[in-house]
Amino acid sequence: MGNQFPEGERYFGLENFGNTCYCNSVLQALYFCVPFREHLLDYYANNKSTADADENLLTCLADLHHQSSSSSSSSSSFFFLFLHLSIIDLDIHIHIISSQKKKTGIIAPKRFVQRLKKQNELFRSYMHQDAHEFLNFLLNELVDILEKEARAAKTDPETSSPPEKIPNGLKNAHANGVSKEPLVTWVHKNFQGILTNETRCLQCETVTARDETFFDLSLDIEQNSSITSCLKNFSSTETLNAEDKFFCDKCCSLQEAQKRMKIKKPPHILVIHLKRFKYMEHLGRYKKLSYRVVFPLELKLSDTVEDSDIEYSLFAVVVHVGSGPNHGHYVSLVKSHNHWLFFDDENVEMIDESAVQTFFGSAQEYSSNTDHGYILFYESVNSTVKG
Amino acid sequence: MMNSSNGMISTSSTSANAQSPGLKTYFKTPEGRYKLHYEKTHPSGLLHYAHGKTVTQVTLANLKDKPAPSTPTASSSTFGSASGVRSAAARLLGGSNGSRALSFVGGNGGSKSIGGNSKIGSLGASTSSSSMINSNFDGKGTYLIFNVGDAIFISDLNSQDKDPIKSIHFSNSNPVCHAYDQDSKDGHDLLIGMSSGDVYTVSLRQQLQDVGKKITGAQHYNKDVNECFVSNSRCTGIAWVPGGDGTFVVAHADGNLYVYEKSKDGAGDSSFPVIKDQTQFSVAHARYSKSNPIARWHICQGSINSIAFSNDGTYLATVGRDGYLRVFDYSRELLICGGKSYYGALLCCAWSMDGKYILTGGEDDLVQVWSMEDRKVVAWGEGHNSWVSGVAFDSYWTSPNSDGTGESIMYRFGSVGQDTQLLLWDLEMDEIVVPLRRCPPGGSPTFSTGSQSSHWDNAVPVGSLQPAPSMRDVPKLSPLVAHRVHTEPLSGLIFTQESVLTVCREGHIKIWMRPGVGESQSSTSETVLSSSLKEKPLLSGKVGSSSYKQ
Repeated sequence: MGNQFPEGERYFGLENFGNTCYCNSVLQALYFCVPFREHLLDYYANNKSTADADENLLTCLADLHHQSSSSSSSSSSFFFLFLHLSIIDLDIHIHIISSQKKKTGIIAPKRFVQRLKKQNELFRSYMHQDAHEFLNFLLNELVDILEKEARAAKTDPETSSPPEKIPNGLKNAHANGVSKEPLVTWVHKNFQGILTNETRCLQCETVTARDETFFDLSLDIEQNSSITSCLKNFSSTETLNAEDKFFCDKCCSLQEAQKRMKIKKPPHILVIHLKRFKYMEHLGRYKKLSYRVVFPLELKLSDTVEDSDIEYSLFAVVVHVGSGPNHGHYVSLVKSHNHWLFFDDENVEMIDESAVQTFFGSAQEYSSNTDHGYILFYESVNSTVKG
Repeated sequence: MMNSSNGMISTSSTSANAQSPGLKTYFKTPEGRYKLHYEKTHPSGLLHYAHGKTVTQVTLANLKDKPAPSTPTASSSTFGSASGVRSAAARLLGGSNGSRALSFVGGNGGSKSIGGNSKIGSLGASTSSSSMINSNFDGKGTYLIFNVGDAIFISDLNSQDKDPIKSIHFSNSNPVCHAYDQDSKDGHDLLIGMSSGDVYTVSLRQQLQDVGKKITGAQHYNKDVNECFVSNSRCTGIAWVPGGDGTFVVAHADGNLYVYEKSKDGAGDSSFPVIKDQTQFSVAHARYSKSNPIARWHICQGSINSIAFSNDGTYLATVGRDGYLRVFDYSRELLICGGKSYYGALLCCAWSMDGKYILTGGEDDLVQVWSMEDRKVVAWGEGHNSWVSGVAFDSYWTSPNSDGTGESIMYRFGSVGQDTQLLLWDLEMDEIVVPLRRCPPGGSPTFSTGSQSSHWDNAVPVGSLQPAPSMRDVPKLSPLVAHRVHTEPLSGLIFTQESVLTVCREGHIKIWMRPGVGESQSSTSETVLSSSLKEKPLLSGKVGSSSYKQ
């Protein structure tokens, strides 16, 4: 790795323990999500001194602190933390091949994977797993842990770092009868956006708006299209009729209606999942869509409620390699300090920005190119998440 | 939300060679039907080798039948060497049964996948040919020059031959861009830019006459001989300076543009100072009078993706990775104006014939209309479902209403995208002056907005670049026609007097005849044309008739 990277930055490959590339590729993308990483490290810094309310957790944290400071690498401590937060044993076996001063090395997230498998049946087998499902699981798991901690902290007034209350603007998001007080964790701050589902009854013209939160947008894809176009389709107007009528509260009956999704609050980190694995009714199985879907390095969301044109910059891509849904491989592309890197399990290499476009997909169905962008990570360039 | 496009795709991807099943061979416009007339392609074995590495561009070259003074051999030996080309062509085409009868199947492309075997003659709409000899090269004609993989191919525009008549293979690098100057005085009329950064100038005529598969008689610039060559960055655009007497410019992926004079030796030492600020426009001139290139323009950070001179050569427009369109006064080496895309890189640009408007297309899926008078974006064309890779004004188009009134000047332009579509657009002056959002066909019924913010009308100072406009501030256009023309993403389009040419990234070219053109030769039974289409629009360059306009 050249001198173009700053002193503190580390680029570690992750060892594969039998089809665990789905996990490696997502971990790399999240690691290079700078605000997320910083929050995680902050979290660690704020929590290391607290008393042992949760023995397992905090002793582990202390251990972790020890290890990470001795290794003096933010990258490895990140992974410690990360693995820890997913309630992973902290006796993690990490070996950094090169000396500490080098920018690269390999980490073996063995315990993490074991823990993950214990935790969730879904990931237990050695079969090929879905990176998007894993990302989803991981983010929700992190939220659970943070919320649990926050609740525990509330019952214990001596806690040094009380969790943050929900900011004013977000109250509406959870307005309808959520009994437990919603918490806005730093996971939410980074990834959560709010969609408004607007339904207009064609009979009485009443518009019903319902908000829902999301950590990522799953988009249907078409051959030879762009992310812009997929997003447009996502928020395009849909007519509800025939079998699929809408129950209008005002009319008190089923009515034809028009429905559309708008982004009410764009997330700071916009995660876009391309629905490349599609269930084919006539085949009775899933099929991978190798469609060519181009994704720009810069993106704006224009179908927002405020018409505010929030600008995003692409910083990571999880790529599915292979022609079918049940096998294959995951790699990731990551942008760090204006350079693109290619992570394939334990291998890390620098690539040219123009190489990103080789992961768009295939314009023809039968193609030798099977490396397709699957999850895209965009970060907002205008706003910052801090707090 | 997913609609019928799925079905469309599965049918389209069966065979690359056949004539694109599922694609129509015509499209309708208010003035009539455009019909698929010819297809041009290349030996298919190359396709996979080249896949993803290069994008095909096409250049139209009108080789005049005039003696070229500085290459006397060319004109004197035309007939002798024409036979050489014939044999070269025959070899290239695999020597199949070239003696098939002249079964000219008119403008309807439907039966052409079979008819494409006949190798004879250049029967076209414009050169209703007298060439009875089996030769595609008689020293004149209109040729298509296109790059695929490591080769340049040359096809006769007006022949129904699917295959090229000439191929030029390069060993070290891939040709990626080219330009032709039909007024070249010394015969070196064709520029070729390479992915290695190398540049060649050659005589097109000489290439056609040569039987070999290598480039011949080329002048080589920016050669990597010693360490002092100027740029090893990929060429991204190349152009002759209009009226520049052999001056040409080459744009590179590193954001630099070099100015060359073809009369000077390409190997002259040329070094330029280090660029101090990558983000700023700067021009450096060569220190020695013998140097070539003679100047370096540092234009932007990241790649320059496309360049275009205004017709009279006054202005040079560039678009690039940073999403900015920049317009320079070429001779004064001054940045005049420019602006940012909505988002993402800009990929292509083109001038209107009168130099008043510039079209750009890019990664925001928009076709942008830039006004030189207002120095800002005046309209966004919404209609592509993917990146816009080619834009062009139809300079042969004249507005049906422009007869006496002179009030509504209308421009016709086209765009192609990676969504495999060709879109045609009409631009009316009053449409721009009073920006009103046209309701898109399948668009939102409830949320359209035409409001303008106040800063929109503010004057723009010279030499400054505009930030990206907000979505609601720019008037929107909807396409007149949207037609899926290829199975692969498209890379460019050209308007000729008789046709529209579309080309895809993989090097397949389709020639769509304008309504009314070539009808007399066409024996297609299904077309019973209204009388308005049978008038002869060709001579005036005016296509279509007012009866078809609203």
